[in-house]
Amino acid sequence: MSATAFYFVNAMADENAEIARGLKHRDPDLLDHLIEKYQHRLLRYLVSLTGRRELAEDFFQETWVRVLERGSQYDRRYEFGAWLFSIARNLVIDQLRRKKPVSLVTLADSADNAQAFDIPAAGQLSAFDITVQREQNEQISVGMQQIVPEYREALLLRFQEGMSLEEIAAVTGAPLGTVKSRIYRGLSAMEPYVKGARL
Amino acid sequence: MNGDVHERARMLIALSGPEGVAAEEQSWLAAHLESCPACRQFAENAGEAIASLRMVSVTAGARLVSATQLRVRQRALELQRRQERMWIVAVCCAAVTVCAAVTTLLLWFGFAWLGGWARLDPPVWAVSFVAFSLMPALITGLLLLARGTHLAEGRSSRQH
Repeated sequence: MSATAFYFVNAMADENAEIARGLKHRDPDLLDHLIEKYQHRLLRYLVSLTGRRELAEDFFQETWVRVLERGSQYDRRYEFGAWLFSIARNLVIDQLRRKKPVSLVTLADSADNAQAFDIPAAGQLSAFDITVQREQNEQISVGMQQIVPEYREALLLRFQEGMSLEEIAAVTGAPLGTVKSRIYRGLSAMEPYVKGARL
Repeated sequence: MNGDVHERARMLIALSGPEGVAAEEQSWLAAHLESCPACRQFAENAGEAIASLRMVSVTAGARLVSATQLRVRQRALELQRRQERMWIVAVCCAAVTVCAAVTTLLLWFGFAWLGGWARLDPPVWAVSFVAFSLMPALITGLLLLARGTHLAEGRSSRQH
């Protein structure tokens, strides 16, 4: 391991230890900091799970309350983000299961799913390029809502959140092989939409 | 066999991420992509899909963040108060246990002294001690039973 990599691994371990300590004592300042740090990532993940922004915002608050209540269960050997996402995921599944039996398949089946995501225009592009890019992104966003939710989740965790395969396995509770297969199948399922976006 | 090669190549393309792909696999993949237009196309499509995914942005509003922080702080305060109450309850339980033990001991010696003074056999004053000790619990139990029966009767009469 190079000196830089060693430094980063150590820094991450220290940060995790600090988070674990703070969560155990229910330190409100630490929680404020974590809420700010993970605000966009967590909300994006919840929107991708639920497909509805309002619902995702409710779950966003619930997730942090649960983090507060179960903070002592956080194992500092794992990245905090992965633990946070697994709490959010379990919360969504638990809450929706209480209302009616659901799986991830039924979570995001609403007509306005594609509008849950804001697709920003890229900077330094002409108006035409921006429009084309926005349309392409919208097409891909629609495709994301059409593919199997488990594939979508794996793709989002991998490419939006930049999680490692092991972290995705920890969040979703799926074996590593299944995670790999979901990513591969997800990208394969997205192919027609990418092609469609080019037309 | 041929299908396996393409599947392997596509799997490598799909899994190239933070951990990266081993050097020998990467060179194998590069060689394969040189000779396979279909997998090259898959790589391009995957790249576009990934780039598009990375551009998707969902931003949490400041109001949501501050509302969440406020709610978490309130809940933390609630939990802290509950913990403090539990602590008080635990201390009270411990104090009651100690008091009960001391009282029982004193009563035992009291009954022993009274038994000696009245020249009673030890089993007699010991049974009296047990009856005396159990009396409050027995009376309370009987009263609760009577009250329960009374309530049950009242409820059934109201139903009729």
